[in-house]
Amino acid sequence: MAAPMELSCWGGDWGLPSLHPESLTVMAYAKFSGAPLIVNTVNNSWRAPKGDLPVLVSEDIVISQPAKILNFLRKQKYNADYDLSAKQGADTLAYIALLEEKLHPALLHTFWIEAENYCSVTKPWFASKIAFPLSLYLPGKMSREALNRILLTKGGPPLYSLTEVEAQIYRDAKECLNLLSKRLGTSQFFFGDTPTTLDAFVFGFLAPIYKVCFPRVQLQEHLKQLPNLCRFCDDILTCYFRLTVSGHAPAGQDTADANLQKLTQLVNKESNLIEKMDDNLRKSPQHPPRKLTTLKLAAGGEESSPMSRLSP
Amino acid sequence: AAEPWPENAALYQQLKEEQILLSDNASSLAVQAFLQMCNLPVRVICRANAEYMSPSGKVPFIHVGNQVVSELGPIVQFVKAKGHSLSDGLDEVQKAEMKAYMELVNNMLLTAELYLQWCDDVTVEEITHPRYGSPYPWPLNRILSYQKQWEVRRKMKAIGWAGKTLEQVLEDVDQCCHALSQRLGTQPYFFNKQPTELDALVFGHLFTILTTQLITDELSEKVKNYSNLTAFCRRIEQQYFEGHEKDSSTIAARSSKKSLLR
Repeated sequence: MAAPMELSCWGGDWGLPSLHPESLTVMAYAKFSGAPLIVNTVNNSWRAPKGDLPVLVSEDIVISQPAKILNFLRKQKYNADYDLSAKQGADTLAYIALLEEKLHPALLHTFWIEAENYCSVTKPWFASKIAFPLSLYLPGKMSREALNRILLTKGGPPLYSLTEVEAQIYRDAKECLNLLSKRLGTSQFFFGDTPTTLDAFVFGFLAPIYKVCFPRVQLQEHLKQLPNLCRFCDDILTCYFRLTVSGHAPAGQDTADANLQKLTQLVNKESNLIEKMDDNLRKSPQHPPRKLTTLKLAAGGEESSPMSRLSP
Repeated sequence: AAEPWPENAALYQQLKEEQILLSDNASSLAVQAFLQMCNLPVRVICRANAEYMSPSGKVPFIHVGNQVVSELGPIVQFVKAKGHSLSDGLDEVQKAEMKAYMELVNNMLLTAELYLQWCDDVTVEEITHPRYGSPYPWPLNRILSYQKQWEVRRKMKAIGWAGKTLEQVLEDVDQCCHALSQRLGTQPYFFNKQPTELDALVFGHLFTILTTQLITDELSEKVKNYSNLTAFCRRIEQQYFEGHEKDSSTIAARSSKKSLLR
């Protein structure tokens, strides 16, 4: 019908279609309302991201903020809030404000300000998606903007140091997660069985916390203690983003790999001990030297056999 | 068991007639309404340097016994620690809703008020600058108000409101009032028959918007569009503020005093 709508936004990883909360919100809303969007993820091309992403381009209209993009989609008759009563619409606005005020600062902090996270995960990832000279400048700029925003909105007296501000924003974020969990309860989406704008916003904010593997993860650990929110994210990913094969398997594979790694380390430690014992034995003149093969473990359940091989 | 509330509890704000601004007046009225609803008497004391006395830099703040607490959020928690609470009867989901709506008011209404006061050039020139520095001699009055303006504008830029036009801000106010009106519906208060801190907060902001005269009436017009909100304000005013010498002003009488606010 209308001209095709193109959305430029940040790409994704770790099973998510996008790492950026606002981009994810818009993508989720488009899926919920059935809007046909052509999604262009920013990759290492010379089309530099102008200003803020996500950006929707339709014919000649360029719209940049998620709230405005959603309004535009609604005007084009892609409305996910069709069945909501007026009061539920009001609740949506209120909960979105809650997310913005309480959860967003902590999200920004986890991504952009926490030094370990920023240096080891966020900066390399974003830098790899942007063309060369800009990649040296843009992640730093985003980090400074995030810090500025947090300090200006949350950093007034009586909180005087960054650590106090951090403590406060994480407390607020955990409280916000608890409130969301209570509100969601056992239902599938926030307002019944069909997802709406609020679900898009909550998903957009929660999914990056849930899925991205950071070194410092206090918010993720708190989120994992709220199983209904985790289930909510997973449901949306499987139903609407069809990432079952690539999205879930890597997560499963990751845990299997982690377990395997731990086991390998343990077994190698034991084999080192045994080698030492063997050396001692060799020095004493009783037994002919025995050669212990180093253990090579294949993927899968071969854990029992090396153990039995080790017992003398 | 409730701890005794001292007789000489005091609430500090800026000078009512000459100095206080829209947003501070709203916050102060919200706290006064909340304390009235809890039946805790408090004297309102006006000081020119209230902002500097406050532990967090924001008005209003209350001085109870030997403790000083500022802003509605911490005051609610403080009062709760003393054993008085308005929201005990709510279940978990309702408490979550209440917190969400309070954030909505803070996020949209308060920010819009701040925008109007400090980022709209006409209002700044004619109302804010003269009022904000009025207790101080020249050049201190100009310096202080420019300093505050710079601070507020920085904050607006950080949260993305600096690029908004006045129409967009008024749109947001309208959206917020629409949401509040929908939520209130035909009930007397937001949650059943008992007022909560959300009612106090909404009352503080809406009443101030309705009764403060600015350059144009656009802001108060937005609120007047929703009759259940104006009825709500009138009801709370009659119930909690009538018979109090300091605040015995109906909406009609207050509007005649409007010219003094200029």
